[in-house]
Amino acid sequence: MADNLPTEFDVVIIGTGLPESILAAACSRSGHRVLHVDSRSYYGGNWASFSFSGLLSWLKEYQQNGDTEEETAAAWQDLIHETEEAIALCKKDETIQHTEVFCYASQNSGDSVHEIGALQKNASSVASSTFTEPLPSAELPEERHSYVTNNEMPAKHASESDSKISVEEGDVEESPEKEKYCGDKTCIHPGSDGDKVENKPIVDDDNNQLKRNVITYHQMVQESRRFNIDLVSKLLYSQGSLIDLLIKSNVSHYAEFKNVTRILAFREGKVEQVPCSRADVFNSKELTMVEKRVLMKFLTFCLDYEQHPGEYQDFQQCLFSEFLKTKKLTPNLQHFILHSIAMTSESSCTTLDGLKATKNFLQCLGRFGNTPFLFPLYGQGEIPQCFCRMCAVFGGIYCLRHTIQCLVVDKESRRCKAVIDRFGQRINADYFIVEDSYLNKETCSDVQYKQISRAVLITDQSILKADSDQQISILIVPPVEPGASSVRVIELCSSTMTCMKDTYLVHLTCESSKTAREDLESVVKKLFTPLTETEVDKEELRKPSLLWALYFNMRDSSGVSRSSYCGLPCNVYVCSGPDSGLGSEHAVKLAETMFQEIFPSEEFCPPPPNPEDIIFDGDDKQADAPGTHTTTVANLESPEESKKLESPLQS
Amino acid sequence: MSMEDYDFLFKIVLIGNAGVGKTCLVRRFTQGLFPPGQGATIGVDFMIKTVEINGEKVKLQIWDTAGQERFRSITQSYYRSANALILTYDITCEESFRCLPEWLREIEQYASNKVITVLVGNKIDLAERREVSQQRAEEFSEAQDMYYLETSAKESDNVEKLFLDLACRLISEARQNTLVNNVSSPLPGEGKSISYLTCCNFN
Repeated sequence: MADNLPTEFDVVIIGTGLPESILAAACSRSGHRVLHVDSRSYYGGNWASFSFSGLLSWLKEYQQNGDTEEETAAAWQDLIHETEEAIALCKKDETIQHTEVFCYASQNSGDSVHEIGALQKNASSVASSTFTEPLPSAELPEERHSYVTNNEMPAKHASESDSKISVEEGDVEESPEKEKYCGDKTCIHPGSDGDKVENKPIVDDDNNQLKRNVITYHQMVQESRRFNIDLVSKLLYSQGSLIDLLIKSNVSHYAEFKNVTRILAFREGKVEQVPCSRADVFNSKELTMVEKRVLMKFLTFCLDYEQHPGEYQDFQQCLFSEFLKTKKLTPNLQHFILHSIAMTSESSCTTLDGLKATKNFLQCLGRFGNTPFLFPLYGQGEIPQCFCRMCAVFGGIYCLRHTIQCLVVDKESRRCKAVIDRFGQRINADYFIVEDSYLNKETCSDVQYKQISRAVLITDQSILKADSDQQISILIVPPVEPGASSVRVIELCSSTMTCMKDTYLVHLTCESSKTAREDLESVVKKLFTPLTETEVDKEELRKPSLLWALYFNMRDSSGVSRSSYCGLPCNVYVCSGPDSGLGSEHAVKLAETMFQEIFPSEEFCPPPPNPEDIIFDGDDKQADAPGTHTTTVANLESPEESKKLESPLQS
Repeated sequence: MSMEDYDFLFKIVLIGNAGVGKTCLVRRFTQGLFPPGQGATIGVDFMIKTVEINGEKVKLQIWDTAGQERFRSITQSYYRSANALILTYDITCEESFRCLPEWLREIEQYASNKVITVLVGNKIDLAERREVSQQRAEEFSEAQDMYYLETSAKESDNVEKLFLDLACRLISEARQNTLVNNVSSPLPGEGKSISYLTCCNFN
């Protein structure tokens, strides 16, 4: 560390997730001295996004979480005075569980010839005796076999055919290397059902030329930087509070956005595009004239449903799904409205909530494009960083990789007066904002958490082919059993700068009922096939292939109320991690509410002075920057501002 | 000002250790000022200067680190969409030179691989305290395929030249790109990935 941290601040913020970062920007913008720290080496906490290699190392960190020794930190116990007591902060992040990795892409990197040879030999010897069904290509038995060979997961085995299982059993004896690997895994990861890896090694060179360009694992690692893989998968509602805040505060200058291009639905085993704007409806080839008319009529009604109470009054307490049935809508239209437009639950959403959700969706249409959603280039993980930049521009001090060991509480006033960092340095402040994963077990002993189930997939083609391969799509897959949670699928193309060329990055999210894989695998199987099982001769009809998959559960603390934390001083505020919702409205609301609680009379994230005004106003005005408010407000409406948000949409 | 009164707009981003004079370079160029002993830059996101090169108006948007370099905590988004990077060190401070490889790693990771990088040794007005020889810096910049210049923000030596040369390069680069049909810019990534030991990497 080149420099010592200052020790006097107004606000100390621990954790760089979205709500903390918005608060940092707001406090700093208001002229308060802000220290913003994170014990991690990256911004965003559970809101972060990673390159491919970065994600792998993040995974490794979680897998090793159990046995890493805390780096030698200065003892803080002696630094607490008699009139004070300390609240230790948590050293281990326990918000991520059940991480499971599956690699289907070839791991042939071209330089491990020996390994590949061995596997091939292995494979053919067994395959010849086991596979009896006719096979489309000479290479295929090897491929399929080697996939099974390296499949060590009992859970996976159950889903394989009997013949394959027998192959696998026979193979274990022949493959000492494999066993060794299993042994290693157990060592690294004791007593956990976490991490499994399937090695799918061989795509023969000859075969390669016949097929499309098949991405290998090696290529993904090599092109690691082209991936920006979000831990949370969210979109921005184009009339949502996050967009409003980004524009109002000028933080939107730091990011670029793309419009989500398609709303999809999954019905009767098929993915189809949902027409939602007027133009979509009229251009739809799937809908009949009658359907178009009925749908337009219904959507027009939803836009100002409050004006027509007679239409829905009798159904107010009924389910929205029941109400839709009375509207002459065909089953596919009902499905579109219920799941893809209102995005509500069939079994629990009331008519009134459904209408509200539909109206909200329709109102967001057309602000930036013909779907209601935006996605930030380089991933959602950019957004917290953009707010951090704003905080820094107004003097906030940033320090990643900086662990805070404890909060220091004054016994008499019951207020927190300082924190002690890992160097034993005492840092004083009036207010403390802590992301909830930093709180220790005792503080959180009464807290009940929900969980979010997540899957991250890298695939080779879109779930719905279209003229352009650069589509950003959202798909809601309704639950099979009523009452279960629907699964949100967001598919990103390479022009979002979140994945390498010729791949798609697919995020699945739902509220957890079990582990992420148990919750999501059935949907993954409906939409994708593992690369190895791809049927080469049915190129046109085949589902997209999975190259790589990750499952994990993330803790959802968004529903936890302040009062459930034990013994926190009143000037310590707690920010929750990401929620499972599609938008970021929860985080924005949390930040704004907290800011107003701390600084009731101050404006939340007002527009900063426009840098161009500073230059044109004259020589040396930056010091009294807030004085230029009026110009800046005017500037909000200027073409330049809207261009910033709009320009990427036109490309 | 409206969108039409320039022909090109470029985003130039300054990086380098704290205290090497990044903000002074920007201020000297955009405002002709040298504020001695100025503290951190509060409330200024970027500075604008429009220059004319061969009859074309070029608007330069010059971004400063906002102090996040002090504890090595620059946000990735700072590097995104930069057309040029000015990597600055202080010729009187060996340490600021030795940190350059670390900065290059960040550039590689987050900046576009089309970005033009210029290495700048600042504070040549303090020649008597020089710790980094011109030759060393030249060798380094050559090895890294960077353009290299020594400046003094205080004496205004080479400051105009730095930005104007950069503007010229950016223009010719932009022209080339439009010729090659402006294909989507690939990100950096040729090889040098931080090779973490990966959980899939066992064979």
